[in-house]
Amino acid sequence: MITTTASRNLEEVIEECRTIFDIPGIEPAVAWKHAERGRKLIGCFPVYTPVEIFHAAGALPVGLAGGGNRLEIVHSDSRFQSFVCSIIKSTLEQGMTGMLDEIDGMVFHSICDSARNLASVYTRNFPNTPVEYLHYPQNFALPEAAMHLRSEYERLATFAASITGTTVTPGRLKESLSLYNRIRRLIRLLYGLRAERPHAIRTSELYSLVRVGNLTPPERHAEILVEALAAIERREGKSRDRLRILIVGSFCEQPPIDLISAVEDAGCYVVDDDFLIGRRWLIGDVDTGVSDPLLALADGYRNQSVASPVKHDLRVSQSQMLIDRARRLNADAVIVLCAKFCEPALFAYPLYRRALQAAGIPNLFLEFEEKMWMFDRVKNEIETFVESMLFA
Amino acid sequence: MKYAAGVDVGSTQTKCVLIDENGKIVARALRETGANITRAGERGFEAVLQAGNISRDDVLCVTGTGYGRFKVEFGDLQITEITCHAKGASVLFPGTSTVIDMGGQDAKGISIANGEVTDFVMNDKCAAGTGRFLSTAADTLGLRLDEIGALSLQARNPVRLSTVCTVFVESDIMSYVAQGKQIEDILGGIHSAIAARTIALVRRVGLKPEYTFTGGVSLNVGMVKMLEEKLGAKLNVCEDSHYMGAIGAAMFALEHALAASGS
Repeated sequence: MITTTASRNLEEVIEECRTIFDIPGIEPAVAWKHAERGRKLIGCFPVYTPVEIFHAAGALPVGLAGGGNRLEIVHSDSRFQSFVCSIIKSTLEQGMTGMLDEIDGMVFHSICDSARNLASVYTRNFPNTPVEYLHYPQNFALPEAAMHLRSEYERLATFAASITGTTVTPGRLKESLSLYNRIRRLIRLLYGLRAERPHAIRTSELYSLVRVGNLTPPERHAEILVEALAAIERREGKSRDRLRILIVGSFCEQPPIDLISAVEDAGCYVVDDDFLIGRRWLIGDVDTGVSDPLLALADGYRNQSVASPVKHDLRVSQSQMLIDRARRLNADAVIVLCAKFCEPALFAYPLYRRALQAAGIPNLFLEFEEKMWMFDRVKNEIETFVESMLFA
Repeated sequence: MKYAAGVDVGSTQTKCVLIDENGKIVARALRETGANITRAGERGFEAVLQAGNISRDDVLCVTGTGYGRFKVEFGDLQITEITCHAKGASVLFPGTSTVIDMGGQDAKGISIANGEVTDFVMNDKCAAGTGRFLSTAADTLGLRLDEIGALSLQARNPVRLSTVCTVFVESDIMSYVAQGKQIEDILGGIHSAIAARTIALVRRVGLKPEYTFTGGVSLNVGMVKMLEEKLGAKLNVCEDSHYMGAIGAAMFALEHALAASGS
């Protein structure tokens, strides 16, 4: 586990983060579970899960993020069609190879057809693992959407309590909300810092700092983020004349970290992204001063969450929000980096492209798979894209 | 006289071009790339110097391009082949708006405005539309790669392929051979299928004349004709079309050298 010392530099913090998350399984979370009798793990499929509920029940919410490029898919190809994205297959593969044996409950959501089906496939293959399925509202315009979501969250709270034996009381939930509010604020600080001084922290480093929260208790995650912020302040570096890039499209399945680095190595500063967006899903604090914190959490989803292709909020134009975001961040270009066969991302892309072209913002479409190991072709495309702007 | 060079280390062949201070091509050389990419670039460069009877000391700047560009260790610049093909095409054919590049292992569509790349697309994990596909088809029919284009022009009743997969197309070809179909008709079908596939790819960046055809497959007269038929437009092709990446690279090298000297 990570050990904190006052003088650790950012590289050392990142190194520790990578040893925790850059593995095909969930061993660090399992180690937490075994450290004390009665501890439980609840697996959360991306994109967003109200993890505060599980934390309030005493469980460690484990952020599932696929198997990366070191997990060989042997079993799950026979359970899914060839046109299904990699994270669906790798999550089932993790289960079928025993990597998720220590998970005491799993939660899936209605983010896309593949994830929807994964919930039932998982249930069928692992009848002894409790599985819960969360229906997010489809019509955000109605105030009842928050009430609907509250009832869904209540069901999750009952589910979590059935696993841990600890009831999710309003008091416990408020404590968890406060902790996760703090984590989100720290992540927002890091994102803001990178947008302002992208030379101070590489995106692959920022990604590591966020991703480590998938397999680390939130209390410890907050400490890591605080330590990283202090280390960045001490870091020396000079801004270079590079293109400022906004990356969108990788909100569920995650690209290999080497692919993220490749964008920067091609001569870009990434000033914003939607990697692991679930950890920044709520853009403001959830109100903990209310009598019904479950409703406050649901209301946060309805009124204070990011725009995403997996959230069908017709009150806003996702394309316009993308344009606004690019302009606000003074981005030179947008890279739409989609997981292969990711329907929500691929459905959004034509709308994004049309809007970006109309706004005169250069854009590049790239596809990836989490199991990618060679990046020459993608690097070639990124370099060409950069050249097309530098030589223009 | 001083010179600039472009070294295009492609997946199959390494193309090298020398241009003089006026941008005129003075020498070309082509070598098989093989497994040693670093050596391929060096051999190609040595060959083009020899072809032009030019001393290395008279070459002001060298640009490496192609997938092996970073292995052109003696080069001064590394620029992607897409940017270089666009540059070469816009120099040789200034009216170019769309470049169709069919190389040994990839196919690309490049949209150009004022000589600069505005959009591009590459094939993904599929050899359909590349020299490799045609090479496989030629091998299956026991023909040389450089003769299938002309033979395809003699097709009377081109066959229809059920796949453009480089692996599975062999089955289709063998089935047609077993049925007694004319070799020319099989080749006509192959060229037609690949041309359609390539145009579908390029369509993603927009089909806007003038079209310039580059890469090794541009030497295939059957593919030129088939693309022209399906596009309903003439293609800009010349004897240097397969050197286009190296030409563009050499142009960048010359610009760099002139800028450095303040000319």
